[in-house]
Amino acid sequence: MKKTISRRTVLRGMLGGAAVSVGLPPLEAMFNCSGTAYAAGGGLPLRFGLFFWGNGNLPERWTPTGEGADWSLSEQLMPLAAVKDLITVVSGMSLHTDNIFPHTSGSAGILTGCNLLSYEDGREDGTFALPSIDQLIASYIGGDTIYRSLETGVLPGTDGNSYNGPNNKNPPELSPHAFYERIFGASFREPGEEGVVDPSIALRRSVLDAVMGDIQRLDTRVGAADKARLDQHFTGVRELELRLARLQEDPPNLASCLRPEAPSLTFPEVDGRHPIRDIHRAMADLLVMAVACDQTRVFSHWFSDPLNNKLFPEATMGHHSLTHDEPGEQPEVNMVTTFIMGELAYLIEQLSLVPEGDETLLDHMLVLATSETSRGQTHSFEEMPLVLAGGACGSIRQGIHHRSYTADNTSHVMLSAVRAMGISAPNFGVDGGEVSDGLSEIEI
Amino acid sequence: MRRSLALILTMAVACEKPTPMDVVDVDLDRVVPDVVLPSPTLRRLTRDQYTNAVVDLLGEGLVLPSSLEPDEATDGLQAIGSALTTISPRGVEQYEAAAFGLVGQVLDDEVRREELVPCTPEGLIDAVCTETVVAAFGRRAWRRPLEEEELDTLLDVASQAATVLEDFDSGLLYALAAVLQSPHFLFRVELGDGEQFTDFEMASRLSFLLWNSIPDDELLDAAEAGELLDDAGLMFQVERMMSDPRFEEGIRAFFTDTWGLYELDELTKDPTVFTHMSPEVGHSAREETLLNVVHNVLEDDGDYRDLFTSTRTFLDRKLASIYSVRAPAREGFGEAVLDASAGRRGVLGHVSFLALQSHPVNSSATLRGRFVREVLLCQYIPPPPSDVDTSIPEPSASAPTLRERVAVHLEDPYCSSCHSMMDPIGLGFEQFDGLGHFRTMEEGAVIDASGELDGSGFVDAWGLVDRIASHERLGPCLVRTALGYASGHSVTEGEEAAVDYLAEGFTYMDHRIQFLLTDMIMSDAFRMAGEVE
Repeated sequence: MKKTISRRTVLRGMLGGAAVSVGLPPLEAMFNCSGTAYAAGGGLPLRFGLFFWGNGNLPERWTPTGEGADWSLSEQLMPLAAVKDLITVVSGMSLHTDNIFPHTSGSAGILTGCNLLSYEDGREDGTFALPSIDQLIASYIGGDTIYRSLETGVLPGTDGNSYNGPNNKNPPELSPHAFYERIFGASFREPGEEGVVDPSIALRRSVLDAVMGDIQRLDTRVGAADKARLDQHFTGVRELELRLARLQEDPPNLASCLRPEAPSLTFPEVDGRHPIRDIHRAMADLLVMAVACDQTRVFSHWFSDPLNNKLFPEATMGHHSLTHDEPGEQPEVNMVTTFIMGELAYLIEQLSLVPEGDETLLDHMLVLATSETSRGQTHSFEEMPLVLAGGACGSIRQGIHHRSYTADNTSHVMLSAVRAMGISAPNFGVDGGEVSDGLSEIEI
Repeated sequence: MRRSLALILTMAVACEKPTPMDVVDVDLDRVVPDVVLPSPTLRRLTRDQYTNAVVDLLGEGLVLPSSLEPDEATDGLQAIGSALTTISPRGVEQYEAAAFGLVGQVLDDEVRREELVPCTPEGLIDAVCTETVVAAFGRRAWRRPLEEEELDTLLDVASQAATVLEDFDSGLLYALAAVLQSPHFLFRVELGDGEQFTDFEMASRLSFLLWNSIPDDELLDAAEAGELLDDAGLMFQVERMMSDPRFEEGIRAFFTDTWGLYELDELTKDPTVFTHMSPEVGHSAREETLLNVVHNVLEDDGDYRDLFTSTRTFLDRKLASIYSVRAPAREGFGEAVLDASAGRRGVLGHVSFLALQSHPVNSSATLRGRFVREVLLCQYIPPPPSDVDTSIPEPSASAPTLRERVAVHLEDPYCSSCHSMMDPIGLGFEQFDGLGHFRTMEEGAVIDASGELDGSGFVDAWGLVDRIASHERLGPCLVRTALGYASGHSVTEGEEAAVDYLAEGFTYMDHRIQFLLTDMIMSDAFRMAGEVE
């Protein structure tokens, strides 16, 4: 198992805000997959990104031809041609969790390997039982960066499905400008700049201490369910405090990290439609730089939600309506899925253009792209769409198509992804969705 | 409305003024039920509650935070979702930025600052003046007086900040920002004493229900004097709060949540199909419906059922053009009376319902029918099985209108077990397209909007709304929703008797919502608390 380096020591700034500088190891040297450059012998920082879109695909136009390293992209995957050698497509896998509630059962099934929670009388409870895969991974590898994880969304109204636990969601940031302000706003420092010397940081932390005291005292009075909610609130406050402490340190020394330009404040509709591509690319650019600047090592990027009924470019119905009501071979559904794959290709390409040592940022991470169903029309759990990109420092094979002829559990892929992050997880999923082996064909 | 004069006289002699509830209890021989209440839980302030609270605390006209934790609906209500959600790490950041931003604006503005800080500080550190400000602000924000330990912590924060930044006001900034980030502000801490909600908790419950905001000082004073645990004292405050202008906000919030009107913020319609579509339509549509509600509840103190059959509405130019009627006002909204030629009446003739319960291009008999069943009549409809092809065929010569195209929903027994509940209602609204334009033809064929609702026939939507308004489940369903909204949880078995009790009174009192709310507040279902588990 690979270990991650804790590069930073948590330093509590003195009251009055004396800046504390600590000597950090030359980070550039760590970014080498061979693992030899870093003399201290620690592991390498790996990153994980989830790309999720809603309403599935059309399996007959999705599945590549050929297998192993000798394969050809399908119609819907064609936009990924430029990054074909960097990706792995897994087809023929199924969700082995229960398919009770259209769309929502699939979201929980793919992202947790566990059934969606439901009420005793069978109605949908509308929440996940377990953390989604991004948060599972973040709980292991998210601790050393400014942000434990980042969540972004693209289509207006997107809620995402990044869960820490039941009813405990990480809502995605939908505005590129707000995301820019959050990550690259006043408190951001480029490599080479010094830690912030500002007495107000210590004072903000004293406020957070008071808030944490309130939470702890309240915690003794509430029931079990509320305790879990207050624990999450406490965690959030503590993470913010940690983040403030880190502002006083020197920023990570990363050659590819630059303060990006601020995106437009708004993305107005054009002829009654959201400029989806413009929003996505603005957000993707920022996300890539946030990772390149080591602000986080885990992100989830929610392109669109299950059930979303937004109008995509040139579509004559909302996406969800199209999947159900478009007759025949569903050319418009095909167009929308292909459009989304074009945007996935953009994200992968941008990650592959960031140099890190002799390699690229994408080499040091794993991107997992999926949806909650395959054929939206029947909410199918078979032939689930799964695309992986980046090799996670040589843990995951690239440039192949693996096909399952036995409708194997998608959780095998999830477990491979988790283990590729250096996490020695014994299993992924629960009951029908549970597996204890990764998918060996995609592992190295 | 009938009155029981004998009772009123008897009670007048006995000195206590009879409440409307007493009258109903006697007239109907209504028996106050025993209720068993679930364990109380924290509720996170909704975005609107947060915003209303900071306006009440700090004044109008401030730049409000643009992004806060999103609200999530559970069992149809964000009010119930608020008792389940927590605060994410991003939410913590947003609340922190909002707290400093809001308090900072007030301290930077001389007039606002004077309201907040009634004393003149003597020096950098003036513990007395700081305590005056923090204690008063904290009492309103946390809806109870601060405990000594809590106050001490905040005074420490203030004195540190004042010392380091060499400025008295900076001390206040940090202390008040701490108040606004505390779980005691962000969550509604109403845990009861094992039997009933405490006096200050009652103040909070009243103000969030009736004003969708925090209590004012008068309500907190009444709580402090123990008056809210007493029938007469509670009744006095309910009447006062219902005659306060803030009651309108409470009513708007209740119906926005109950009917999901917040979804109009994300209304998507294809503008090439709907030339009237523009980003303002969703907002206008929401306002039309809420103005009808506000007039029904506040101005008329009228019958809830009238909301479904009234020909009176309020339109701006945008909506008037969609309804093909003359705009009643040059700017903003004006009152309009629709006649049968408009084809529509009542809230189910509004764009808010017709457009929201449709797809971006097409109307939807299923979505419209489901809304009536689930939201208005409280009848749960299971989701479609996940593995069926739910496509609706394209219009054709043999099946031009939606009625023929969805016929299979009603013919195939597999589909019809659920769709027979929804589609016949939704088809009654088919004379309104996906945005809510009136039409009589589709694909060259005449639209047949006739049908029946639970055995009662109608010719079109004009008649269908009568069937809905007179449906026996309509009133009790609103009672059930109101109780869930007020209590923050779906009605439990131990509360069913309370729903029946309140529904009986609601029916007898001509379905007046003001009466329902009063009756509910005065009942055990609102005042009693289960044990914390």
